[in-house]
Amino acid sequence: MLTFMKFGVIIAFLFSLVSLSYLVLKTFSHEKKKLNAEPRGDWKKGIIYAFGKGMMPWEKESARNHLPTYIGGIFYHIGIFISLLYLLIVILAIQLPAAVILPVRVLSLAGAIAGLALLAKRIFSPVMRALSCPDDFAANIIVDIFLILSFLHTLLPAPSPVPVPVVTLFLFASAVIMFLYMPLGKIRHCFFFFYVRILFGIFYGRRGVFQNNFCHQGGKVFLIINFLVFLRALVP
Amino acid sequence: MNENETYVSKDPFDEKIEQLSPADREKALKVFAEKINREFAVYFNSCVHCGLCADSCHYYLTHQDIQSLPAYKLGLVIGIFKKYFSFMGKNMPGWVGAKSFDNRMVKEWVDSLYGRCSLCGRCSLNCSIGINIAALIRAARGALAAIGLVPPGLQSTIETAVEKGNNMGIKKDDWLETASWLEEELQTEIADPAARIPMDQKDARYFYTINPREAMFFPLSISAVAKLFHAAGESWTLAADSYDVTNYGLYSGDDETAGMLSDRLVQGMAKLGCKTLVLAECGHGFKSNRWEAPEWLSKKYGFEVKSILEVVAGFIREGRIKLDPAKNQEPVTLHDPCNLVRMGGIIEEQRFILRHAVSQFIEMIPNREKNFCCGGGGGQLAMTQFSQRRLKAGGVKAEQIRKTGAKIVATPCHNCIDQLMELNKHYQLDVKIKTVCELAADALVL
Ligand code: SF4
Ligand code: SF4
Repeated sequence: MLTFMKFGVIIAFLFSLVSLSYLVLKTFSHEKKKLNAEPRGDWKKGIIYAFGKGMMPWEKESARNHLPTYIGGIFYHIGIFISLLYLLIVILAIQLPAAVILPVRVLSLAGAIAGLALLAKRIFSPVMRALSCPDDFAANIIVDIFLILSFLHTLLPAPSPVPVPVVTLFLFASAVIMFLYMPLGKIRHCFFFFYVRILFGIFYGRRGVFQNNFCHQGGKVFLIINFLVFLRALVP
Repeated sequence: MNENETYVSKDPFDEKIEQLSPADREKALKVFAEKINREFAVYFNSCVHCGLCADSCHYYLTHQDIQSLPAYKLGLVIGIFKKYFSFMGKNMPGWVGAKSFDNRMVKEWVDSLYGRCSLCGRCSLNCSIGINIAALIRAARGALAAIGLVPPGLQSTIETAVEKGNNMGIKKDDWLETASWLEEELQTEIADPAARIPMDQKDARYFYTINPREAMFFPLSISAVAKLFHAAGESWTLAADSYDVTNYGLYSGDDETAGMLSDRLVQGMAKLGCKTLVLAECGHGFKSNRWEAPEWLSKKYGFEVKSILEVVAGFIREGRIKLDPAKNQEPVTLHDPCNLVRMGGIIEEQRFILRHAVSQFIEMIPNREKNFCCGGGGGQLAMTQFSQRRLKAGGVKAEQIRKTGAKIVATPCHNCIDQLMELNKHYQLDVKIKTVCELAADALVL
């Protein structure tokens, strides 16, 4: 049964990978926009900004004003990443030392709590409800279940007293569902996120938008003011 | 009409929407499909409905309705992409939020994409993912433009520009007369008969363009620039025919017309053999001609394109003009036009000029690329049916201005000036609105 489930996870993962790759290829089959205007700034600096300061709450108003959601989102995504690594370890039947298990346990739990909190926000906030479609709820629930099962799995004693713990089977089943759903719904954004950030960086970087902020004294002062505003937002 | 209501009054434009045939909608979808490049296709797959873009939009902040939320507006566009161009959207539309492009949806597109967005791009900066929401909304506007659904005020501005050569329909004789009158005034003001407002000067270094509103209503902003050029001893010219920096095709979403309008300046440059195209203080004119036109026209320009702010800041840096800030004593704040700053990259030049030209300069919070839109962009000033919403959306800017305590609001954009003047009246701000070059010219030491 365990081997069968492991096999299922691998097949589902491959399905996901192939489907997402197809989707990416389809997306990339569209013509690339040619940029003829002479750049004013450096696109590379823009990309560095997009993946660095541009995501920080003292720089980004939406993150600053919605700190719980922002922090929840970070924990959610860290939890998912760690749980995926953990899944690989479980499939490969590698025994992790207790010192490593502990952070995995904490992060998968934190991810699960964050996921459930984001789900609650989507359910109870009228604005979020109005913005959402069934896919949003489904994607969240599927991933939350995977995170919860990852967390529960980390609680199993090692070596296991039973040959095939039921939690393991459920963890594999949830992974199968998650991988199968990935290319169909919004979880696919995990593939596109990085490309969008690159496009974001290129757009503003070429136009010299952020460059001004970091090259001139005024920009640095502004950054400090932003950081102070952010700190003030932390005080109730 | 209550500004929170959807635009429902029965007028010929509404009837036109109601009478759209499937063939019309198909045509719009075809144009929409043609606009989907790789970048857009990636964006269409990326919105996670987190809602964090909500309070970055001045429409949402002031109206607090779901229709004003950036992600909702974006969802109207993505919903159509999903329905007609994605596997899940075609097979399980309700599950993924795919939407049919029926007449009701067309009406909502017009109402939301034209009527609730100034294409300011502030939401993109704040989007969790980084989606260029304004670009997608503009692309959808382009599909509406293809079936003649640009709101009448905006469309007539474009038609005037296409037919008459400038968006105010100024006759050539009137323009030449205005320029010559301004030249005489300038000579008297600075007591220098050599001061000139050159017209069609071949091989001049700078080919200067204006917003036709300046010639019609704000001629002093032309004199201000002329005074600065004169003081710097620079070689420059205006053109008798191609001088309109504005391009409302940017707002209608019609790339072809937009390209044609911008190409006039390219032709003007070629005709006079000038070295640098200098764009007047006009946010959307800058964005159009500096950043978008080379894409619309699918060609690289063989000349430099600059904002007048870059030129004037250069004069100051090189010591070619001297400004005395004591000549502008009242406290001044600066409004950053979205198209020039957030989407244009001209951020520090206006600050550099103002620091040399005025005694007290107070920044609005937030400022620079994070600044709020005044509400006048996106063609809103031309689309009179949405003017109540526009004024309400401008409330965020009015509050920003009030908090600075400034007596003068400087802004390098004539569209922003129009909106700020209305906000000044509506919100009783009791401020004067000026261009940056006007303040610089007032501080000039001759
Ligand atoms: S571009 Fe500006 S007006 Fe339009 S949705 Fe975004 S923030 Fe709002
Ligand atoms: S912030 Fe970006 S990803 Fe989130 S709802 Fe708004 S547009 Fe979508």
